[in-house]
Amino acid sequence: MSSERPIQSPGNQFTPNNPLPQEAKLPNEIATFSPEVIAEMDAHIAKYPVRRSAILPLMFIVQRERGGYLDPPGVAFLADKLGVRITDIWEVATFYSMINTEPVGKYHLQVCRTLSCKILGADKITEHCTQKLGIKPGETTEDGIFSLSEVECLGSCGTAPMMQIGFDYYENLTTEKVDGLLERCRGGGMSNGVR
Amino acid sequence: MSSESIKVTINGSDYQVEKGARLIDVCRSNGHAVPSFCYYSDLALQASCRTCLVRIEKMPKLQTSCTITCTDGMIVTTESDEIEKARRGMVEFLLANHPLDCPVCDRGGECELQEMVFDWGGLEERFRERKNYAPEKYLSPVVANDPQRCILCKRCTRVCDEWMGEDAIEAGGRGVNTVIGTYGGWLNCSQCGNCIEVCPTGTLLDGTYRHQARPWELEQTITTCTFCSDGCQMSLGSRGGEVMRAVARDRYVNGINGEFLCIKGRFAHPFVNHEERLRTPMIRYRKGGKLIPATWDQALEFAANKLRETADAHGAEAIGVVGSPRITNEANYALLKFANEVVGTSNYTATDRFSLAPFFESLGAGLATHRDIRFAKTIVLVGGEPEELQPLTGKQIRQAVRNGGAKLIVINSRAIRLQQQAAQFIHIRPGAEDAAVLALADERFDELAAKKLGVDASELSTARGTVLDTEGNCIIMFGGELSPAAQSLLAQIPHAASTDKRRFLFHPLPLYNNSVGAHDIGLMGGAHTASSLLGAAGAEIRALYVAGSFLPDHLRGQEEALSKLDLLIVQELFETETTRYADVVLPAASFAETDGTFTNNDGLVQRVRASIPPAHQSKPDWMITAALAQTLGMDFNFQMSASTVFRELAERTTAYNGMRYPLLKDETKPVQAKHAIAPRRDLADEIEALRLSIESLDETAEKIMGTPPVGHELFKPGELTGKVPQFHLLAAGNPKPPDVLISPLYQITIDAGLRRTDEAVAVAGD
Ligand code: SF4
Ligand code: FES
Ligand code: FES
Repeated sequence: MSSERPIQSPGNQFTPNNPLPQEAKLPNEIATFSPEVIAEMDAHIAKYPVRRSAILPLMFIVQRERGGYLDPPGVAFLADKLGVRITDIWEVATFYSMINTEPVGKYHLQVCRTLSCKILGADKITEHCTQKLGIKPGETTEDGIFSLSEVECLGSCGTAPMMQIGFDYYENLTTEKVDGLLERCRGGGMSNGVR
Repeated sequence: MSSESIKVTINGSDYQVEKGARLIDVCRSNGHAVPSFCYYSDLALQASCRTCLVRIEKMPKLQTSCTITCTDGMIVTTESDEIEKARRGMVEFLLANHPLDCPVCDRGGECELQEMVFDWGGLEERFRERKNYAPEKYLSPVVANDPQRCILCKRCTRVCDEWMGEDAIEAGGRGVNTVIGTYGGWLNCSQCGNCIEVCPTGTLLDGTYRHQARPWELEQTITTCTFCSDGCQMSLGSRGGEVMRAVARDRYVNGINGEFLCIKGRFAHPFVNHEERLRTPMIRYRKGGKLIPATWDQALEFAANKLRETADAHGAEAIGVVGSPRITNEANYALLKFANEVVGTSNYTATDRFSLAPFFESLGAGLATHRDIRFAKTIVLVGGEPEELQPLTGKQIRQAVRNGGAKLIVINSRAIRLQQQAAQFIHIRPGAEDAAVLALADERFDELAAKKLGVDASELSTARGTVLDTEGNCIIMFGGELSPAAQSLLAQIPHAASTDKRRFLFHPLPLYNNSVGAHDIGLMGGAHTASSLLGAAGAEIRALYVAGSFLPDHLRGQEEALSKLDLLIVQELFETETTRYADVVLPAASFAETDGTFTNNDGLVQRVRASIPPAHQSKPDWMITAALAQTLGMDFNFQMSASTVFRELAERTTAYNGMRYPLLKDETKPVQAKHAIAPRRDLADEIEALRLSIESLDETAEKIMGTPPVGHELFKPGELTGKVPQFHLLAAGNPKPPDVLISPLYQITIDAGLRRTDEAVAVAGD
């Protein structure tokens, strides 16, 4: 046995502290949308030679319309609309951190934890949020206003540390800036990308 | 495929290989071992495990041999310190967080990861990671899942998609958190279990065999599946006289199906050791009385006396002998011999749903093997539903289209799922299949046929055009919907349309494992069909000797027929509608308890081998028949050996001439029966008869809309498949249990409503 320090791995979903993502409910109904929203979807579908290619834009639309996450009826709708299996939707949805498969708070704080941000203090930002909101990454506040997650590089390394809320980037973060952001969220003065 | 040959040098030896060959295959077939996890022949490439690394000269870095296509002059090294180090590195990474729970893992002992580590693992573990952990759970009543053991080779997701077209299991999440699973944590598919078979580790496991046995305790017996006419080769694992599981793992068996089995083949074997199996012979001494257990001698004596009485009173022709498309060729042969030589009656038949006799009489081209289907250029499917009834054929068709670019023409009254793969789908009115055949064979009838089929005449000419444009093999498949005249007409198409560029092959889709064999033996050539025999019961037919049972189809509308007989002798596994009126019931051995052969829809004559001794007092069918003959004073001289029966059978059946058990021994080199090719015939009469019957078809019949889910017929448990407790859950709509961590079988106990009590429904292959 070598006496080196054990190599630490990032959180692994199968460890006892971090159990498997729980089983979603199987959809027993299919979501409906207004004609305008359907038209918006069809416009996306029309852009691609293959229908299923429109999966991502449609996911964003469903997420926006269904309260910020892909609920089972929304997933059933997507599978039907794109002519794919529900499992295909699951596969893509779980790959992207900006697609939610579980309900999230009104404002979803996605703090980047990859290298540049990490070096420049992402941990401090996350910890600050945790302290201020009383939730750990992966959790939602009781009032349903905030969710916190750690995500991988958002391609804004030059302005690290940073986080994403809705479709907007908030960059060069400091704890003070985060306080300001939280205030603005509470005041309702921020966009969250959800209808 | 070009057969240009190129030179490749592997470890200093030169090999001539076909252009386009894959490097890993070339290495292996020439004795240079290359390990692999994610590579699986004839599936999409994955290249994620990187255990197959080799050094190719002039290429930077080591290369994954599973993705390399050989080129001329390639110089390859498969063994060196550098390669060894790389492989050991990969294995070390795989083990970094893989749980070491081999002692409680059902795959232990036949796990590819264990073997890989045995070959390439180190003694020392340098990583101190937390090992993956997850509680045991189920993905469906038959698929158990331990996600922590996954090495992400994605074989399961690829077979699910490419073989089965189900796409029911996928990889979710990403990076280190990737997990194989399904939306909602519950698997809704046809439950073929192929994901279990191809899984190299213990991640996906047979839910019905979970924690039942260790692989090294099992005796593996290579045999042929008994559920449909595809004749998959499988290995039955038995322990102490009990069949524990059926697998097609390539370490045990390498038949026409590779590692493929369907839900029936893999999971429906529990009928073999079912508690309701008949235990002893039984006699009903008085009509309307009870069946009383008896000894074999008593039962045979009783049956023989009664047969003699019937023959004396009404003549030999009053006795009917009924074989079965489910029992071995040897058993059917013994019955035919019994009919001809002991009784002397021409009233024999087999209980098949439809007869292939007209097809074989007019056979204009040979039968396709499943391999031919995979590499066909054009496939025409008239009627039938192979995905449901001949699942291996369904898989071969799908792969021919997806991987081989074949053109598929589906002519069906239902939008069967294979239609999604089709180049052309002709959606016809139910019952009008004959019209499609007539139009395919003769363009003069396009207009008439189109009108009756409810399609455009141009659809028919397009289909004909596709067939006539084919260069290579064109395979014609057909189901039981065709009338005898249409079968003949279809069988003769090759005479008119073959050229030296285009070869026709046939693939009939009969329903049972030995439908083709029953025909070859000559059992379908008697004076009656199963239904007409029942119709004559009590009139010119006074006694019946039946192996197996009549299908509900045959009994429909003449439920009372059997009760009108003076004598009914039945050989069966279970009590059925047919034994209900039997005077003598003889317990027969199942396919897992008998030696013999089945002939599949390729015409391949494949071995069936006894995996366990016959249950209780049962005996193989051919032995029972021989014993009855003996009691009646005729010695069949079979010498208690199936191979003697087969030798005699092969001598007397033209298509099987020259066959012997030793020649059929190797499941990797199956032997095809030599069905005689009929010369070109004048079909004017058949065409006229067809035209007349088509003229009278109803033009207002509604088309059937919607795609039936695959597995729907099975989920109405019939006689054999109904003996599998898990199938009751599937039949009840495969509900997700409240807690997927408990065995779904508990669900039946908890929720009595999930037990299917409906009348057994007639199901093909059950
Ligand atoms: S496809 Fe047919 S022969 Fe193969 S396993 Fe299934 S039922 Fe058996
Ligand atoms: S590392 Fe945070 S945005 Fe790239
Ligand atoms: S077998 Fe080649 S990378 Fe896995």
